[in-house]
Amino acid sequence: MPYGNINVDTVTTSTTGGILGAGDASTMKNRIINGAMVISQRNGTSTVTPANADVTLDRWGSNMYPNASKYTVAQSTTAPVGFNNSLLVTSSSAYSVGATDIYTQFQWIEGYNTADLGWGTVNAKTVTLSFWVRSSLTGTFGGVIFNADGTRNYPYTYTISSANTFEQKTITIAGDTTGTWLTTNGRGIGVVFGLGVGTTYSGTAGAWSGTPYYSATGATSVVGTSGATFYITGVQLEVGSSATGFEYRQYQQELALCQRYYYKMYNGSQYIRIGFGPANATTDALITVFMQTPMRATPTSVTQTGSLGLWAGATVYATTATAIIPNSSSPFTAVVDATVASGLTVGATYQLIGNSDATASIAFSAEL
Amino acid sequence: MYKLLTVKGMFGDEQHIIRNDGNGSYTSFPAQEDNPNYQAYLKWVAEGNTPEPAENT
Repeated sequence: MPYGNINVDTVTTSTTGGILGAGDASTMKNRIINGAMVISQRNGTSTVTPANADVTLDRWGSNMYPNASKYTVAQSTTAPVGFNNSLLVTSSSAYSVGATDIYTQFQWIEGYNTADLGWGTVNAKTVTLSFWVRSSLTGTFGGVIFNADGTRNYPYTYTISSANTFEQKTITIAGDTTGTWLTTNGRGIGVVFGLGVGTTYSGTAGAWSGTPYYSATGATSVVGTSGATFYITGVQLEVGSSATGFEYRQYQQELALCQRYYYKMYNGSQYIRIGFGPANATTDALITVFMQTPMRATPTSVTQTGSLGLWAGATVYATTATAIIPNSSSPFTAVVDATVASGLTVGATYQLIGNSDATASIAFSAEL
Repeated sequence: MYKLLTVKGMFGDEQHIIRNDGNGSYTSFPAQEDNPNYQAYLKWVAEGNTPEPAENT
């Protein structure tokens, strides 16, 4: 017996305030990766001063333009109920932003993960951005949603009413029916939280614009107050016109999602095993590293921390450099040229290992 | 901050750049125009900076 169709935006549970997911999503409800700020492959819990465009906590990038060292970032354990971590921004000085200054935290969502939103078409879906935020400052804050080339921009505002208190904010955005929104492995949608943006790049909140913006007009500048703090966590972008409960993920699931963009091999042992490969010169060996998670694209860089070495059962030859070989690499395997001073036997197979260094690691980036 | 690096890839010498990230970390990337790290390096050079020479050629 047919029962017909029911069109609903949300379904509320018997638990007060409990809402099931909207739209069609039972998984992939939250398009943000690492919205709970759990994964921090690059820096752990260390406080860092990012350069412009640097990623700190996984998937979270930094605009630090044009002047360096205006704020620091750390993975914090100060968090609202239901969360264990947040991303903490601390202002390093009392800096007055210039007209074209841009200080933000942002995440690029891959086009494959926003393709179903239909943005740039008449079928564009409404989305809702929700997050928990806490600051030592109060007032109106801002941010923006934009496309890859900055030709479609939706500034938004929210208000922090009480200092040093986590508050949940919700922004509902009618999907953009125009513009170009990438739907492959490039930059799909950018989600930006302003920390101090000049007037040139601040626009009227609540409307789509063709002018490139990084925040909303009149927003509070976090970098304008020395020592000001800004915590954010529980970031979720979902289909629908209201915020639903945060999509918690298993740790391994979240880590794998992050590893598509940044893959770090580290286990805290002195002799971490990284990969194998032949020497093609007395100073070079081409080491193949197998990714446990396919990356978004062939990695564009490799980062070595600590001491690594090439080993074939006897001598460990200390590496002086490591470099990724793009034309031999792929999203599935990276070929790393490990360089040593001398002594390798051409044609012999070597293993790239930690060189008696518990801090040793190697990491590959395919960030958006 | 930046240093040149020549490595022996599968098909001959390849030019790479090494960036000192601090805290004992070094990031290397190929000298390819579509590489975002290389683009940042070129901007750094255009600002009048000079990388350290390669040690192994």
